[in-house]
Amino acid sequence: MAKHGGWAGKVLRVDLSTGKISTEDTLEKYRDYLGGTGIGYKVIWDEVQAGVKSFDPANKIVYGVGPLAGTGAPCNGRTAITTLWPTCWPKALVASGHMGGQFAAELKYAGYDAIIIEGRADRPVWLSVWDEKVEIKDARQLWGQGIRRTTIEINQQMGPEASVAAIGQAGENLAPMSVVMNSYSHSAGGVGGVMGSKNLKAIGVRGTGSVRIAGNKEEWEKLIKLHLSLLGANNQHVVPSNPQPWAEHYNAGSRWMASAGRRWGAANPSIDTGACEPHNLNRIAYRTNNAAYFLGDKAWQHTVRGNGCTACPIRCHTMLKVPAVSAKYGIPELGQNTCVGLLFGRAFFKSFPDGPKGQTAIEACMVGMYLADDLGVWDNYGQLQRDFQALYYNGIFKRKVAEKEFNSYSWNKYEQGDPTFLFELLPRIANKEGELATALGLGTGHLLERWGIPEQEWLENHDLLYWKLGHPKHHSNEDAGQCGVIINTQYNRDAQCHSHSNFTRNGLPIEVQKRLAAELWGSPDAVDAVAAFTPMNAHKAKMAKWSLLRKELHDCLSLCNWMGPWVASPLKEREYRGDDSIESLLYSLATGDKKSRQELDTIAERIFLLHRALTIRDMGAKDMRTKHDTIPDWVFTDPKDKAAFSKGTIRMDKEDIKLAMDMFYEEMAWDKETGSPTKATYRRLGLGTVADELAKRGLLP
Amino acid sequence: MERQEEVRANILNIIRDRSESGRLISAEEILTELKRRGLLTSEEIKPKTHLETALKQALQENRDVKEILAPNGVCYYYSVRRLSETYAGILVLKSENPLWLIAEVVRENSKRYPRPVPVAGFMESPFDLTLEAILECLRVMGEDKEYQDIAQTITSVGKTFLYSSRHLDPDYASMLAEWLDVGQADNP
Amino acid sequence: MTGGLIIAFSASGAKAAKEGPVIIMDQAEGLVIADPTKCVGCRRCELACTEFNDGKASPTIARIKISRNLNFGVNGIPTGQRGGGAWGNGLVIQDICNQCPHPVPCANACPNDAIVVRPPTNARVVDSKRCSGCKMCRRACPWEMMSFDSGTNKATKCFLCDGSPKCVEACPSGALTYAAWRDLTGKIPPRVAPTAIVAPEKAQTCNECHKK
Repeated sequence: MAKHGGWAGKVLRVDLSTGKISTEDTLEKYRDYLGGTGIGYKVIWDEVQAGVKSFDPANKIVYGVGPLAGTGAPCNGRTAITTLWPTCWPKALVASGHMGGQFAAELKYAGYDAIIIEGRADRPVWLSVWDEKVEIKDARQLWGQGIRRTTIEINQQMGPEASVAAIGQAGENLAPMSVVMNSYSHSAGGVGGVMGSKNLKAIGVRGTGSVRIAGNKEEWEKLIKLHLSLLGANNQHVVPSNPQPWAEHYNAGSRWMASAGRRWGAANPSIDTGACEPHNLNRIAYRTNNAAYFLGDKAWQHTVRGNGCTACPIRCHTMLKVPAVSAKYGIPELGQNTCVGLLFGRAFFKSFPDGPKGQTAIEACMVGMYLADDLGVWDNYGQLQRDFQALYYNGIFKRKVAEKEFNSYSWNKYEQGDPTFLFELLPRIANKEGELATALGLGTGHLLERWGIPEQEWLENHDLLYWKLGHPKHHSNEDAGQCGVIINTQYNRDAQCHSHSNFTRNGLPIEVQKRLAAELWGSPDAVDAVAAFTPMNAHKAKMAKWSLLRKELHDCLSLCNWMGPWVASPLKEREYRGDDSIESLLYSLATGDKKSRQELDTIAERIFLLHRALTIRDMGAKDMRTKHDTIPDWVFTDPKDKAAFSKGTIRMDKEDIKLAMDMFYEEMAWDKETGSPTKATYRRLGLGTVADELAKRGLLP
Repeated sequence: MERQEEVRANILNIIRDRSESGRLISAEEILTELKRRGLLTSEEIKPKTHLETALKQALQENRDVKEILAPNGVCYYYSVRRLSETYAGILVLKSENPLWLIAEVVRENSKRYPRPVPVAGFMESPFDLTLEAILECLRVMGEDKEYQDIAQTITSVGKTFLYSSRHLDPDYASMLAEWLDVGQADNP
Repeated sequence: MTGGLIIAFSASGAKAAKEGPVIIMDQAEGLVIADPTKCVGCRRCELACTEFNDGKASPTIARIKISRNLNFGVNGIPTGQRGGGAWGNGLVIQDICNQCPHPVPCANACPNDAIVVRPPTNARVVDSKRCSGCKMCRRACPWEMMSFDSGTNKATKCFLCDGSPKCVEACPSGALTYAAWRDLTGKIPPRVAPTAIVAPEKAQTCNECHKK
């Protein structure tokens, strides 16, 4: 048994080139990096040289979970997968993908905090991890199969409890726009091709062990109940979507969809989601229905139930039963996913004969999930579909693709919103058939380069939501003004940060948000009402730093940043406060390593700094401010040409954003001119050797 | 004295039970219920006065119990443990004419959050208005001086939202409506 | 195991010859009943069971069993969409201890009389002091509800948390209810055919009461 609670205690290392399988002591080697992306960045920093490309055998993949994975801490189901990112353009830089499901917990029960995959197998293999028994198995029979068939066959060997993370044809064929997927519908984008490049079809994990809680079990139970009491619905929306007797507030944009009369209509017999008064912890699972949130009222009649990750009471995946699709499209009547995964098929189409929330839209979702989640195609937070619409309707496909190939697609079906079009498109992306599909499978940056389209066109287009490095924005100025902009400059793919947007979208009135903001970031001016933004101030920079560090902390502890942090709650008696210390309380009790909120945030800062150092090293540039932390032109425009800071626009002001970046760098104690962390900052956070390495390369400011 | 305490305890009970079911209760209804329970019956000379005193005391002593005055002059009672002030506000407005209900809800939302309100929301619980009734209200509002601040904006997918121009200007309202209806789901 | 007095045989029911084996006669007072249509597959019940009772997260020893049915239903891995679980029709069957009436298969199979009745619920519980870790009980339960904790080297089973089951409290969809005991042994299909044998001394006790 590990000395500490929480951690499993071992990291598994598998060299596919040599077949060597070994383990390392988690705490001895990675203690300062907690787990998850922390272990990922550390391994890439120490072991993967600058200049390595995503699909080189020298690239590594780190499947990392943290001390809270597998415990009863709510929302701990995510596995962070860190590697050199294949869709990062013009060159691969470090990034991470995050999958939910049962994989993270199963890995812990098997006795591991992370799996490091290195090298390249000389033939297709899959990895079997069954407690301490780890084997590299022949996958030649699985190669060419979809994710579902692969999973079933591995489960036949490992038993029904095993969690299988597999790639589909897209990953095998080294399409950068590909995923790894476990538990039917839980994927991590971008990673599929990297696994494919290593000839690694899947990882099956079966764990029969346990995760020890170091602290007193009664205290743990109390803490879990506290945390549960602070939960809202998905994305930590803390008010219901319509007025309900118990609720002081409501918000039509809330994902808290439960209400009397809204039923899981495909459950047998159907179930009324009813009132989910926040103190009733036995009804949390009914609050969220993301199918109804995204697809409208029609989705209720098709809802079988909510589904989701281990230990998470928020069931953000919705299981849908649409009997009509079986005869119409020849696909199973059941499907499930959430968010952009749910909308995968629908999002390609501009319109449907019966409107954006009609039956055809739902059917497009069903077809999309059926295909994409089996072929393992990634959509890069919807950029694939936004690009597709733009490339088609602007006539670019027609210009770039040979006539014969272009005409082989049923464009009339596409324009009419006929979901059968997806059967023509998605398999071709996965199999890299033809120019059009192959280019789409590269990701935006590489596609634009291949077709000689200047990135600038994308940077200027307000509708495409493209940000930089081949990736879109993810909760930027539309959600939190300058704070969102800052966050979107920091990563090498879409930012995936929800710390800020979960707060600004929580549904509470602006006066309440401002009161909470004052307590958290020192002033009510840290937040603005949506589209009523005010000029930059230091508190917004504090909020940005806090948001980034909490995201990184969650990715290391295995808490879901799509749900956390929990600084607002649905509880009126707490004046809607959450608890800013919940992460450190959980960490301390689970591991027995007592750390305050500030101490844990400092560790998160170290990990975030290592990500920054890796980006600097691999770009070979220290002038991050102009070379990396860039902001697309559309951010500074408005469709109605409204001025920045006027009400009704999310337009930002160029000079003000310069100030925002200044203030952020200052808050991080980085060099303002270059946006590079200073030697002193690296030292303060325990990364002195990292600073030395960067100094050798002339990469310190 | 004991009798009075019993009455007070029953009053609290009646109010809280009613709130539990998501509804308000008037003094008259409380009195009827008390009588049904065999309290404040014939031997009491002035049951109404008695009830008023008891209610006043209940309000003072129990912070969860609230009184709300409906536009028709009737006072309703509820417990915030089970029924929020916001919801109570909607219920009393609902007892009045729907014009006032829609206008006040729209104004409150425009001022407080701030945000416009989807018209379709008034067809759902607790408003439960028919589309015809809502459209008729909006038509009448257009002609009534008192409601000139209630304005409409339509999103890119054709959903109508209402807002009060006292608190939101048109561009801001249309942007927020778009954000609620399309933007948030397109930026998940 | 949790603390509390363990009573090997109660005044009213348990039948024991002098120095003879323990035979459970008392019926349990309560049991957990489950509604599969409401189960959302989060496994919080399994985790509450083991974290709050044993101080560790360990679905393997959980006394309510979800994981094994979660993906493909009780019949294992289906070949199509006809099975249960997340890969089938969506239904997750929660496996629960029936708190069997006499004869109690797990208790009767125990060579150490380590499975006993404990008030106030009269749950059938493992007396860990007597349990030798031989796993005979696991071969006796047709519903595979006996768990084995390799950390303590003891068997463990549902003891109803002495009347307020943690799993019921933890369920975020209200799919579990703690209810008055009723006999479900004939209603819930067995998962396996038991292979345990009743020891000769116990068999003798059976025959004493059930004379032909």
